[in-house]
Amino acid sequence: MIVIDKNKLTDLLDALNQSYQVIVPAKSADLTQFMPYDAVKEKNAEIILNENTVLSPKWLFLPQSEGMYAFWAKNKKLEIVDLPSDLEKMRIVFPVRHCDVQGIACLDKVFLDERHVDGQYLEKREKTVVMALMCNNPKDSCFCASMGVDRAHANNTVADVQVYDLGSEYAFEALSDKGQQAVEAIKALGSEKTVAVPEVKEQKIKVNIEGLPEKLSGMFYDSIWDSFMFKCIGCGTCAFICPTCYCFDINNKIRGEEGVKLRTWDSCMFDEYMLMAGGHNPRPGKKERVRNRFLHKLEYFYENYQMMLCTGCGRCLRKCPMNVDIVKFINQANAK
Amino acid sequence: MKVANTDEIKRSNDLEPMVGKIVEILEESTDVKTFRISTLDDKKPFSPLPGQLGMFSLPMVGEAMFSVTNQGENYIDMAIKKTGELTDALHDIEVGQEIGIRGPYGNGFPLDYLKGKDIVFIAGGIGLAPVRSLIMHCIKNRADYGKLTIIYGARSVDDLCFKDDLFNNWPKVENCQVYVTIDRPQEGWDGHVGFVPDYIKEIAPNPQIAIICGPPVMIKFSLPALSGLGFAGDDVITTLELRMKCGIGKCGRCNIGHKYVCLDGPVFTLTQLNEMPNEY
Amino acid sequence: MNPIAQEMQNIAKELLTSGEVTAVIGWEKGTFWYQSTPVMITSAEEADKLIWDEFCQPNLSKYLLDYRLNEGKVAIFVKGCDARAFNRLLQDNQIERQKAYLIGIPCPGMKDHKQAALVEESAKDSVPLAKVCQSCRYPNPVVYDRLIGSEVTPRATEPDFSDVMALEAMTPDERYAFWQEQHTKCIRCYACRNACPACNCRNCIFSDSKSGWISKDVNTSENQFYAITRATHVAGRCVECGQCEMVCPSNIPIMLMNKKYIKDINDLFGKYDAGIDIDTPTPLGHYKLDDPEEFM
Repeated sequence: MIVIDKNKLTDLLDALNQSYQVIVPAKSADLTQFMPYDAVKEKNAEIILNENTVLSPKWLFLPQSEGMYAFWAKNKKLEIVDLPSDLEKMRIVFPVRHCDVQGIACLDKVFLDERHVDGQYLEKREKTVVMALMCNNPKDSCFCASMGVDRAHANNTVADVQVYDLGSEYAFEALSDKGQQAVEAIKALGSEKTVAVPEVKEQKIKVNIEGLPEKLSGMFYDSIWDSFMFKCIGCGTCAFICPTCYCFDINNKIRGEEGVKLRTWDSCMFDEYMLMAGGHNPRPGKKERVRNRFLHKLEYFYENYQMMLCTGCGRCLRKCPMNVDIVKFINQANAK
Repeated sequence: MKVANTDEIKRSNDLEPMVGKIVEILEESTDVKTFRISTLDDKKPFSPLPGQLGMFSLPMVGEAMFSVTNQGENYIDMAIKKTGELTDALHDIEVGQEIGIRGPYGNGFPLDYLKGKDIVFIAGGIGLAPVRSLIMHCIKNRADYGKLTIIYGARSVDDLCFKDDLFNNWPKVENCQVYVTIDRPQEGWDGHVGFVPDYIKEIAPNPQIAIICGPPVMIKFSLPALSGLGFAGDDVITTLELRMKCGIGKCGRCNIGHKYVCLDGPVFTLTQLNEMPNEY
Repeated sequence: MNPIAQEMQNIAKELLTSGEVTAVIGWEKGTFWYQSTPVMITSAEEADKLIWDEFCQPNLSKYLLDYRLNEGKVAIFVKGCDARAFNRLLQDNQIERQKAYLIGIPCPGMKDHKQAALVEESAKDSVPLAKVCQSCRYPNPVVYDRLIGSEVTPRATEPDFSDVMALEAMTPDERYAFWQEQHTKCIRCYACRNACPACNCRNCIFSDSKSGWISKDVNTSENQFYAITRATHVAGRCVECGQCEMVCPSNIPIMLMNKKYIKDINDLFGKYDAGIDIDTPTPLGHYKLDDPEEFM
């Protein structure tokens, strides 16, 4: 493995920034999120490495709003044109915690599903090098270990480089060809060493998901939803900060005779989400919506893709305005 | 507007429609029109199986999923009821209008399973649109199927769709019986009056296969009528409609439990529906 | 247990046992020490869930909208700002007075839960009060059926517009840059709207993309359109509970814009505090012959 002193972080990012667009977690205007390193320098933002960001890195692959194609319409004529790629350079994102790496693995299941591979998503995935960081300082809201995330080794279908935090140094291990190239670019900053994988600290929150999808499949009509839905105020915070929530809307942005078809994040908590043209709404209230969100994460997605649509990153535990708590839900469901 | 050129990466996107054109518009009832769609070079946009869906758009207004009601050598038909912003706009367009079209989506009716069997088609209102694709298929391949029984109801005579088929074309098909009813008596109507579920009991069709589509209340009362006649859960087949955006099981909104209507449906048997949460 | 919480539980039991109310809405302890969250209980046995601590900032009044069609009466606990929020909903004709039983609690001020989330529980005492609480003028409920504890002395007698004045002191370019930076962070989750007691439209234009006012494209300009439109719509009706910025995941200082409106309204139409009573019409909701009209 290549071991580089943490003091050389700036050198490391600058070295990568020569051949890649570097994306880092940073705090700007009192919000932590993944930002281009160039913007971080321009805004004098603070790079945040000791905790996870409020906004997840999912926008790198599924932007909150993204043009799909452009169109021009006048009288009876219609033209539809492809939009150019918005990725000029290869991107590298450093570092992504294992929970968020798992989030990307969830998105892959949907957007790289063999039945319909999503070209725009694929392009972003192919043109991004993911440097996964083994995170050994869990917060009190972290429960990724319980959700089956390997805390020592990131999901290697997603991670191109595994990074270990050795205290005063980082160790880099390439997991893919893309990753090997990235490691080559920073090799000169450190030295080759054999490194023991550091131990991970235990997480405070532990939750049992064994047999949960099967159990939940029989709980659609359970009374648990009556009490669980109460707090929810129907906002989109949980879905938008979640590294795995991928549901989207398709809509227009029109100016005169031209327009762009957009794909935008959506939330199943919004009342317009499922409303049909005739006025019928199959999920009319917050009970139905909260139920759908939790079941999608813990049962439906598992049935379709054999993994949970929750990585235990803990963002919703901290940021849900009214503390609708998925861990508490799982515990209560298990107790039924 | 910035437009991609060939040097730039062409982004494949299943959600991007092709441009098609309206070659004919047929008035089916006061608020239903059939739009006949071809590609710009007069070809069929795609070849759907009976029961499959297509995403039809006026990009300036919006995009929505409709069932393909019929297809020919070089066209597909979609019968569309005026119910919202997009469909209002669609009802205003004229022949020659260029539109967006993508598809086909969904599973379609299980043709192999239906082969050689007697089929009763039950529809209410615009619910005849998706069912019609299968009726037309059975008529075109008449020898492959047994007796065809069509039971159709609407609120009034004005609301009956596909009148030409109901009263002229289908009754002439060999071993095919057509029963039409309206909800309330109406001047000039000497046919059957009453609701579809009661009419089913009256006709008491031979219990092999039932294909049913219509408003929720019709389905709700028709299902017991069918089980009363001895139809098995696997042999009652329906087609559902939910709000859909992508058509390929990704955007998330048309799920019923872990199934997506756009991908795993829209055709489900009653047995399947009974296993799914009641959220449609 | 603190005596307020004890009394809350006693009252809840009493009201539920006697059948006077069908449900009681209060606070329970959340996942972490700095979270106290809304809870609804429907039986006396659940009363021990109810708590009272320095993190009970969620404003409960808006939950009454979910039960406005219920037959029976619902009891809720109201701090000063919850009570003003209740009046807000009454004045906006969203709820009926007789369908709610209000249990007032004079409020010592709530701690800033976002600051608290950054420190360990052992440092709880060092966590400052939430910004709106620091200059709260109405800690005592302005409407209630029953009061727990005794009234407290307000922290301020005059509104604190120091942050608004700092904003006004900026050049237009500086101010524009400031809001640009803030609104770039908005993810349009609508938590601010959904938590706000003044945002009680049954159909919000921002939930209806077909209304054509706004697209779902999330960019600074549309985010700003959302923020300004919402602030304008609650102008003259904002009860200063600060829920909007407390729930904002992006830490946008939403109250700053609301306070700018309050200050301008005070200057233009005379001092007005929303939600204090339901009889004084809102300054932008009615017309007076001596209203300023310099724009005419």
